[in-house]
Amino acid sequence: MSRQLLRRCGDAARRVQAAWRRFREYGFCSDREARGLALLRAWLSAEQLAQYRLHRHFEVIGCHSGKRYRIRYGVSMNVYELDSLGRPLVGRCFVPRDNLVAGDVMLAQKIGLETNERGVLLVAKTFSPRWRTLQ
Amino acid sequence: MATQIIMDHTGDSRHEFNPKDAAALLEAEQRFNALMRDGYTAAVRSPTGDAIVTRKFDPNAEETLFVPRFVGG
Repeated sequence: MSRQLLRRCGDAARRVQAAWRRFREYGFCSDREARGLALLRAWLSAEQLAQYRLHRHFEVIGCHSGKRYRIRYGVSMNVYELDSLGRPLVGRCFVPRDNLVAGDVMLAQKIGLETNERGVLLVAKTFSPRWRTLQ
Repeated sequence: MATQIIMDHTGDSRHEFNPKDAAALLEAEQRFNALMRDGYTAAVRSPTGDAIVTRKFDPNAEETLFVPRFVGG
């Protein structure tokens, strides 16, 4: 009886969490932000999309070095180079020239790292991931 | 129909065209070249879903995404 109750509570908690994530993603979004996120989702790989839905970040592999990067939801200071254990090693700040919404920025960063890693790292500024984590 | 998607402050702007229509195709190619000159990166998706950067107009691409030039944040 209590095991069944616990399972039901667990299921309910997961449903509430999922609803909260959806509300956070769409509830506060303007139309343009929603368009940006829709475009991002359309261009993410299945694995990246699953990561993003779960954590609001996804990982990409740099096309030249093979290094892993994590791209978090955001419009700046949201890209981290990861170490072999998947921990943020250094922040890499590069953004599209135009004023874009978060979904567009994240998609641009993904395409940049996956197709022209050296080029984007040339313009990127570094920052401490610890500093950003504290924000 | 093929689509050119340009990232901008509204989220994105989309230009659809019929690749079998010569006039529409020419207009799409001119738009592609103008965006290239303006520093945009053009990406298409491979059959496996990976993004591939292209520097030449592909009349057979179903969807081409244009990303503005990067600057250090």
